[in-house]
Amino acid sequence: MVKYIIKKLLMMIPMLLLISFIVFYGLQLTGIDPINFMVSPEVLSSNKDNIDALRESLGLNDPLIVQYFHWLINCLQGDLGYSFDGSSIVSIISVRLPYTFELAGYSLVFSAILGIGIGIISAIRQNGIIDYVGRVLAVLGQAVPQFLVGIILIQIFAIKLGIFPSGNRVSPEATNPFIDAFLHLFLPVVTLTIGMVAVLMRYARNTMLDVLNCDYIKTARSKGIPEWKVYLKHGFRNAMKPVLVILVFRIPMLVGGSVVIESVFSYPGIGLTMTDAIVSGDYPIVLVTTMIIAGTMLICSFMVDVFNALLDPRVRLSE
Amino acid sequence: MRVNLQEQKSTASSSLLKKNVRKFMRNKLAVIGLFVVVLMTIACIIGAIAGVDYNTPVLTEMKKAPGNGHLFGTDTIGRDLFARVLIGGCYSILIGVFCAVLSSVIGAVLGAVAGFFGGKTDAILVRVSEIFQAFPQLVLVMMLVAIVNKRGLTNLLFIFVVTGWMTTFRMVRNEYMSLKGETYVKVCEAFGMSGNNIMFKQILPNVMSPIIVSTTTNVAFFILQEASLSFIGLGVADSTPTWGNILNAAKSISIVTDQWWIWVFPGLAISLFVLAINFLGDGLRDVLDAKQQ
Repeated sequence: MVKYIIKKLLMMIPMLLLISFIVFYGLQLTGIDPINFMVSPEVLSSNKDNIDALRESLGLNDPLIVQYFHWLINCLQGDLGYSFDGSSIVSIISVRLPYTFELAGYSLVFSAILGIGIGIISAIRQNGIIDYVGRVLAVLGQAVPQFLVGIILIQIFAIKLGIFPSGNRVSPEATNPFIDAFLHLFLPVVTLTIGMVAVLMRYARNTMLDVLNCDYIKTARSKGIPEWKVYLKHGFRNAMKPVLVILVFRIPMLVGGSVVIESVFSYPGIGLTMTDAIVSGDYPIVLVTTMIIAGTMLICSFMVDVFNALLDPRVRLSE
Repeated sequence: MRVNLQEQKSTASSSLLKKNVRKFMRNKLAVIGLFVVVLMTIACIIGAIAGVDYNTPVLTEMKKAPGNGHLFGTDTIGRDLFARVLIGGCYSILIGVFCAVLSSVIGAVLGAVAGFFGGKTDAILVRVSEIFQAFPQLVLVMMLVAIVNKRGLTNLLFIFVVTGWMTTFRMVRNEYMSLKGETYVKVCEAFGMSGNNIMFKQILPNVMSPIIVSTTTNVAFFILQEASLSFIGLGVADSTPTWGNILNAAKSISIVTDQWWIWVFPGLAISLFVLAINFLGDGLRDVLDAKQQ
């Protein structure tokens, strides 16, 4: 098992390198010239020699592969470079990445609790009120685009009722940081949670139903074990495993979703940083944010593999 | 008591297809889903054929509420929203269907090859699919936009297909890996059938059901995906109306508050269509999934 995990972990390194190179190369192809961001147009047209010297000193005339390794080595040493407007990427990321982790983390926790909870209850009380309401909500949550849910929530809670701010993460006049965080996180977290809960709930319900139809549940019941114990110890435990796998599977979706949701709520996380950088053509930032997101996705798929191997020995044997 | 032989024969010989159709018809939600999907598609196509005017701004008619010759009202520069939703539907549905079908085809073919041959081929294809999976779609779209130097429909279609085939790939691969051990495959091999023949003529029909179901639900997925990308301003160009592009207007808070019809109608259209597709997909799964029968 340890060997399997190490093998999978090592596999991630060449993949990350390959992805970073593809993105690096692709961004070069876009033909965006960093000099245009650094020097004003008048200077650019008049001082040809100076500009060439600047290029040379920045290493922009080097072959692509040299530039790539230059960037890579700097990154590995913790220097992510500078954005085109001159601010250090490390300082941008170190502020914004925790914001995105907050957003995605809370959404993951709440959607897991709600989705699995409601899913299990609706499986136990099949065709009851919770089951019915849950199924309708699940269907709606999957059909209405997430950003639209966000807009509707802003419309109701931020504009009409004025309870929550419509965007951003910190307000300058806030006195209590916890209340401030809660107010700003509430709407985006609810939006992301709605989308996740819909899928999880459906899946948890179906898995639990499958489990409850198994023979060992009947056996447990016939032994006279109390009903709640049957559900909790025999049903829930066995239904949990596939649901957890799906939960981890959904994390990339959460990352992708948070990119859009951050844009809706102008929430200053990694997603918004990336979207803004894409629009303005600030490719050092695009490169780093892409790598962060790609890394997250790879770690998730690694976790899915490990989960599967833990639960199903056949996976390990076939490798 | 006389037995009506004719009747018995007809029921006994009712084909699998008829049985499936009957099973599908019993699922009311699925039938409603199919109905809504077909209805909306036809409406959009009729709108496109009739050549409704979706692109001429009428500055005297800006931000008109629904009614008075404009069923859904008009947008910020006086274009008829009903026409825009119809034409936008054409594009959105086209994007959804095209990308879903093509990515299913790619995923199925690669999945078949990987699952059937196994070994090195399999390992390489799985690795490739993982790399694609790790790529943020947004960055790919952006890179292509920057390289081609314009936001276009073709860019988006290309990116969606390229980044969308992995789930089908994984599913088909797993099916092939388990089906390859079945007796009928061994028999075909013993007869000396070629690999291609076994893969696509013998095994593929048995994997068709999950592929059809996932293609259906992918249509909804791609429509939503396009909407999100267009909403954050990285989808198709503004000149091409799609449901997502029309919804882009909802970025402005003043429109959200004061001109509800500009975002409610395209929002409803997209949600209704996706809802219907999901019901249809669920219905198909119930009918086609052999494990449940």
